[in-house]
Amino acid sequence: MDNRPVMIDLQNVKKKYVIRHNFEKPATFSGKLKLLAKKIAHPTKKYDTEDFYALNGVSFQVRKGEKVGIIGKNGAGKSTLLKILSRITEPSDGRIEMLGKLSAMLEVGTGFNGELTGRENVYLNGAILGMTKEEIDAKMDAIIEFSEVGRFIDTPVKRYSSGMFVRLAFAVASNLEPDILIVDEVLAVGDTKFQRKCIDKMMNIADSGKTILYVSHQMQTIQQLCDRVIVLKEGKVVYDGDVEKGIEIYTETVDVDKTNFDLTDHKPRGSQLAVIENIEILDKENCAWFYNEPIRFKVRIRANETCEKVKILFYVRDLNVYNVFSKSESGEIAVLKRDKTYEFECCIGNSNILAPDKYIAGVEIWKNDESGLIHDIVPEAFSFEILGEDEENNTVKPLNWDTCYHGHIMLPNIETKIVCER
Amino acid sequence: MKGDMMQKTVIEPNGHNMQYWKDLWRYRELAFNFAKRDVTVRYKQTVIGFGWAVISPIINMLLMTFIFGGVAGLSSEGDTPYYIMVYAGLIPWALLSKSLQSGAGTFINNAGIMNKVYFPRILSPLGSMLAFLIDTAISFGVMFVLMIIFYFLEGFVPSIRILLCPLVLVWVAVLGLFAGLFLSSFNVKWRDLNQMLPFIISIGQYVSPVAYSVSENFGDKWWLPLYCINPAVGVLETFKWCIIDSMEFNSLAFFISLGWTAVFIPLGIKLFRKTERTFVDIV
Repeated sequence: MDNRPVMIDLQNVKKKYVIRHNFEKPATFSGKLKLLAKKIAHPTKKYDTEDFYALNGVSFQVRKGEKVGIIGKNGAGKSTLLKILSRITEPSDGRIEMLGKLSAMLEVGTGFNGELTGRENVYLNGAILGMTKEEIDAKMDAIIEFSEVGRFIDTPVKRYSSGMFVRLAFAVASNLEPDILIVDEVLAVGDTKFQRKCIDKMMNIADSGKTILYVSHQMQTIQQLCDRVIVLKEGKVVYDGDVEKGIEIYTETVDVDKTNFDLTDHKPRGSQLAVIENIEILDKENCAWFYNEPIRFKVRIRANETCEKVKILFYVRDLNVYNVFSKSESGEIAVLKRDKTYEFECCIGNSNILAPDKYIAGVEIWKNDESGLIHDIVPEAFSFEILGEDEENNTVKPLNWDTCYHGHIMLPNIETKIVCER
Repeated sequence: MKGDMMQKTVIEPNGHNMQYWKDLWRYRELAFNFAKRDVTVRYKQTVIGFGWAVISPIINMLLMTFIFGGVAGLSSEGDTPYYIMVYAGLIPWALLSKSLQSGAGTFINNAGIMNKVYFPRILSPLGSMLAFLIDTAISFGVMFVLMIIFYFLEGFVPSIRILLCPLVLVWVAVLGLFAGLFLSSFNVKWRDLNQMLPFIISIGQYVSPVAYSVSENFGDKWWLPLYCINPAVGVLETFKWCIIDSMEFNSLAFFISLGWTAVFIPLGIKLFRKTERTFVDIV
């Protein structure tokens, strides 16, 4: 039996959010009467409300020295879990017991003020993260050295380059000495060299026997850092255990067999003046295309208010949730009339630049003016696969395309010719 | 190995208050850090820096003296120079209104930090209040200079009760802060309050005895007790009484203000605690 002390113990933790809907427009006469009755009974009520569980009964234990990676698609409840563990918000139900001092790095540089010098910000940020003045005094030299800001430490941080800013911020956070460390994807900051340094620092912290909870979309870092993985899906733990197996399960939750995606219940983001309701794949029985085939699908959008200058943006991410590309349709700017539903047929024509792999497609609708107001986003609308062969089953060239090495974009060609020989 | 020596944290819906007060003590340094930040940032980019803490109350004093003493022709307390009387009203008024505003705006103005890090939220308005007390100390120093000037001009001598001033100022700041905390929870849900507050404060400047004397101008009116319901009246009257020797102690207003303070402190804490638990879900 594992007799290391239990550092974190979650028991059936739930988090409820209340979402507002506009009243549904009834189609039948009796429906209209019902709505009228409802409006008379609650004259101030403008919305229907619905409960949404971002976390729906999450239980697990983490023992001292464990390094747990938490993975899951956007909206699976990762951020909510982090916010509850770091005590930014309270759970609606359940109980959590934690031992020792906890530090959460959900963002680097929280509370940094541009007018203050680097040093002043270190004291302020350190205090916000729960360090005492003596602790910061003792760590000051290490922080300055790690951040590489050197003699600029007494310059107001508003004059810092963004790289310096981030390095200093990370240096403060990483010099905390908690018993439990909770890290959100803050490592994706700075230049590559500094990222490397951050990961090394994290490994050091991990090796020193601290308990770590690490949330990321980057499977590579999870593999490097963690010895256990928890996969979340729709607010529940669907897997808890071995890293490789967990990543496999996470990748499998990426399902390419459906062709019709009902999005009416997606988490509302943006102004909601118009909402994305449905996506339907055209000409296909599953979401898999040959590398040289156009990707065609239909997006259904409902306008709650009249919206002008509406554009649809598509973006494609790989399974590590790195953006591969994003692009708005090049067509006309649409005007959507209030209470109407529209269907747009979309075609990503030159899919032959996407390398064979699995991808996640997102859709966003926004207003094409200086406000750039976003009406609605579905970050993970559907997943699809690009097959490495064409319709006649000829494999794509070059053979053995490995996205880890060759990337996700296959440019048509690059012309080279010798222009000089000496 | 030292498992049982480590501090245990329990997170539950509507968790215990004991833990909160323990955390408050553990994070206490943060209040001073916030205060230091506020003071540094406020004067850092200005040319005359701390000079503003001196100049702005003096300009206010000249303006209010002109409006109330000059245009409106109201009387001062006995033979106290009008300038001194106005200045003695402005010091607690500025402190009260600023504490009120920063208390009420806590959640909205600091949403960025509070969304990302946990600390007992009350430390943020507490820090701002400390910073305002520092500003007030500077204005108070300026009053000494004014008093010396008016000693030579008009032979003005302050009351010995001036020694009580720091105590009264802490009371003012506490009243403003907790009244603000009381409002902060409404502020999260109805932002209208945030828009209304500046109006309430500028109206307050006229309906509170900032720049005129209560006893000299309407001491005998039947509606005086109604006027004193305004929580600001008692603190302002008491502060002026500490400085002006000839002034009578306005015990009615004093006890009403004290009563308001006794109401706002528990109510402010209660509502603030309730809001801070989950306000990030709303903001």
